Amino acid sequence: MTPGGWIMLVCSWAAILALNVFCLYKLFTEKPAARITEKDGQE
Amino acid sequence: MANGVREKWTSKLGVILAVAGSAIGLGNFLRFPVQAVRNGGGAFIIPYLVALLLLGIPLMWIEWTVGRYGGAFGHSTAPGMFHSLWRNRYIKYFGLIGIFGPIVIFIYYTYVESWTLAYAVFSFIGTYARATDETAMAGFLKSYQGLDASGHFSGLGVAYLFFLITFAVNCWVVFRGITKGIEWLCKWAMPALFVIAVILAVRVLTLRPPNPDWTVGKGLGYMWNPNFSALKDARVWLAAAGQIFFTLSVGIGVILTYASYLSRRDDVALSGLSAASTNELAEVILGGTIVIPAAFIFFGPDQMTGIAKGGAFNLSFVTMPLIFERIPMGAVFGGLWFLLLFLAGVTSSISLAQPAVSFLTDELGITKRKAAAVFAVVTFLLCQPAIFFLGNGVLDELDFWGGTFCLVLFATIETILFGWVFGIDKAWSELHYGADITIPRIYRYIIKYVTPLFLLVILGVWLYQEWVGVILMRKVAAAQRPYVLGTRVLLVAILVGLAIALKISWKKRRDVWNRTEAQP
Repeated sequence: MTPGGWIMLVCSWAAILALNVFCLYKLFTEKPAARITEKDGQE
Repeated sequence: MANGVREKWTSKLGVILAVAGSAIGLGNFLRFPVQAVRNGGGAFIIPYLVALLLLGIPLMWIEWTVGRYGGAFGHSTAPGMFHSLWRNRYIKYFGLIGIFGPIVIFIYYTYVESWTLAYAVFSFIGTYARATDETAMAGFLKSYQGLDASGHFSGLGVAYLFFLITFAVNCWVVFRGITKGIEWLCKWAMPALFVIAVILAVRVLTLRPPNPDWTVGKGLGYMWNPNFSALKDARVWLAAAGQIFFTLSVGIGVILTYASYLSRRDDVALSGLSAASTNELAEVILGGTIVIPAAFIFFGPDQMTGIAKGGAFNLSFVTMPLIFERIPMGAVFGGLWFLLLFLAGVTSSISLAQPAVSFLTDELGITKRKAAAVFAVVTFLLCQPAIFFLGNGVLDELDFWGGTFCLVLFATIETILFGWVFGIDKAWSELHYGADITIPRIYRYIIKYVTPLFLLVILGVWLYQEWVGVILMRKVAAAQRPYVLGTRVLLVAILVGLAIALKISWKKRRDVWNRTEAQP
């Protein structure tokens, strides 16, 4: 594989893995109660 | 909603896995790598990611938001949802595309899905082991499909048996409903799919090549080495946009239906992004690591051009079995490969069935189980032409209208409706209601301007280049034209049937259609 190929592979894998880690982190972190109340208040 | 109570997903993970399961299909492991090889290798990932950011993710958010919004008014399919967004007497009929498209895809996809189940069994018991080269393996496939009576199979009997099993599995899951059927299946099938994909990716990356020059690194290079000059070609950008459409299951109508079973306060922003990112993990990282590097290691660079040109089906049902025949424990790995495709297929096909079942339930007041039974009988009959006239262009015709044209058309309508008619201010606020993340403000402008423009360009280019040729069947062989014409008559009949059902619902269930208060 050429250096260009490695760059494309590593960058795209890193971007997708980072997005997945971000989503998993957010999914398994408790939603701040204050924000829920605030939203409900707006409703 | 015959009994007045709509089902709800029991967990956030359940709905994300269900939407990801709908998105992750055969295309993730077959279509994406073939598209990449044909369109600039590693350079393809640039237009692909651009399309993901400007088209895929915004459409995900739009569909999750419209789905939850429509669900709050008691609607689980596009006609009712479009009516909730815009109280116009005609708009609901455009929403029919969101039920018509999934039905059309379902009636051929289930048959293709059944091949993967059959091949998983064949691999484990060694049925295709005597086919040791490409010609023999292609002959085995044709014989299985009933296109060559002189081959291994004397007729369509075995293929039909596997179709019946696959069809029954789909109907059984849909019959059990959202939580006990779809959510239950996706909660175990999706982790199993990822485990199998990782096992296969590791196996491919540790393969010992028969020719010392055909290394794993060069196999990955065949897929990832960039040809940046390809980016000057508009067709590469359109191919990338098309791939994003197919892979994320946007523009079909299934995400709308799934999201309609959310509660009003459930998050859609993070859930939509999570479903998209799970799909990308399966497609780019796992899908990009299995078929092309494996084919390169065993067939070398000279044969790869022909293999890539042969398309995704050939790669899956001809090339991959040959590869697994040549490695230790190949029967097991081959079986796992086809089991992976079957799991990817079944989690997608059940989602294709749900809009029609939900339409019967919510808009016509039929009970959930009766609706599933009606769907099973009707689609079983509709599946027959795709099975018996496979070699006569029926499947391609169904795929074109249901799986290509309707997707772009439907996505264009819903995007304009969401960003312009419903209004971007309300749309943005609805998207953020109960959201677990704050979406960057730039997406407000992307959803309003860029995504619809992107879709209109795709639709416009297609209309300019292909429309007349498609309508006049210029690329269809003369012998196939009666079958293609028959398929079109069938498609029109489905559409008319749905329109009549919608008209009946509109007349008989005004209380549901005129609801103005969103339910919790």
